[in-house]
Amino acid sequence: MIPELNIYKPKTLHEILSLLDQHQNEIRIIAGGTDIVPGMQQGSARFNNFHSVIDINSIDELKSITFLENRVLIGASAKFSDIHKSEIIIKYFPVLAKAAGKIGSTQIRNLATIGGNFVNNAPCADSVPPLLIYNALLTIKSLNSERKILLKDFLLKPYKTQLLPNEIVTQIELPLISDKFIGDFYKLGRRRAVSISRITIAVLIDIEDEKIKELRLASGAVTPIGKRLIKIEEYAKGKTADKVLFRELSRMVGREILSETGFRWSSQYKLPVVQQMVFQLFMSLYSEAKESKSK
Amino acid sequence: MIKLNFVLNGESKEITTKSNKRLLDLLREDLGLYGTKEGCSIGECGACTVIMDGKAVNSCMVLAGQIDDTEIITIEGLGDSNNLHPLQKNFLKQGGVQCGFCTPGMLMSAYALLLENPSPNEEEIKEAIEGNLCRCTGYKQIIEAIQKTAKELAKVISIAE
Repeated sequence: MIPELNIYKPKTLHEILSLLDQHQNEIRIIAGGTDIVPGMQQGSARFNNFHSVIDINSIDELKSITFLENRVLIGASAKFSDIHKSEIIIKYFPVLAKAAGKIGSTQIRNLATIGGNFVNNAPCADSVPPLLIYNALLTIKSLNSERKILLKDFLLKPYKTQLLPNEIVTQIELPLISDKFIGDFYKLGRRRAVSISRITIAVLIDIEDEKIKELRLASGAVTPIGKRLIKIEEYAKGKTADKVLFRELSRMVGREILSETGFRWSSQYKLPVVQQMVFQLFMSLYSEAKESKSK
Repeated sequence: MIKLNFVLNGESKEITTKSNKRLLDLLREDLGLYGTKEGCSIGECGACTVIMDGKAVNSCMVLAGQIDDTEIITIEGLGDSNNLHPLQKNFLKQGGVQCGFCTPGMLMSAYALLLENPSPNEEEIKEAIEGNLCRCTGYKQIIEAIQKTAKELAKVISIAE
């Protein structure tokens, strides 16, 4: 059973910030509610230490998706169904649009928000790998301050972030990238919908003159928190793009993940799956790059 | 206690309830609308699906206190036994109802889909009902029922035009 709650429904961001300032740890923000409502209902330890919630759904400025000259701003309480269908996101950040469409189910995507997906830093947050490869920058506000921080620095360890009790993530900023990048998102769960991700990978690759100009690679679920695989990205830079290299990179991804997580009971299953899946991702992007060039 | 104003199945409602209820509890306990089922309570089964402002949502994931000023449609708003909605008729005709526990939620997901997309393809239908578990039918009959309804409604619209 959910305990008796005070539910605040502020109409402005300033009201939210005042409430957070006043109540600190005693209050929690509710946006989509897909984590917090069932969590409270089940008496989960993550959700039993507060008696008030702030429903932020009536604040339009926290929901909008805006295109600016060289970047796109996504309100932290934009819903995944809106991100999945947003023409701006589909055009400029297709890997994020694809990932947004794979989260939960239709019902969950109609409620769940992008900010809510990463503020609790669950390893299985599907939007994290795509946001990492697009170098997402967060705006965090409190009553008396505002700061910007890269998502990669915001995420500390499983279920731990840099967010302070009096703060709220208001916006996610994605800088536009070269249109030469092609990318993809892969999610492996136990079934297609409403499954907790076992493995997620997001890739962006820019192949020019048969060489890898830039590779961006991020994993989720299989590593303790979502993260960029920087060493592999650097290794790939400038190398000739071919099957041999992609096989080598895929093996490196497997090794990197194993060194992150340590050997687990599931490693024997996950490792070959990750390696094969990354290899297939690379190969399909490689042929896509060749095709788009021959056109 | 909290006071809520919302539209339920086309009718304005003003109701006072406890702040710790979910939308699902409000519907079943306060309003006696037992068509909306409680299955898993964690958003995995879709038995509690209702339509909120035109979109399918799990009513186990929404606090009652969040529905102020919204419009909710439940299975009771779709049709009744004397006047079934075409989706309901086709679910029966195609064998899309067996034990029936998933049916209200499944119908609401299908209805939300047709509101947004009157002529969905098979993939779009599967995506719309991916959050609704059915352990009896194997889904085939349900998908067929939705396809059939979409075709019938398209015919009605083209005649009307």
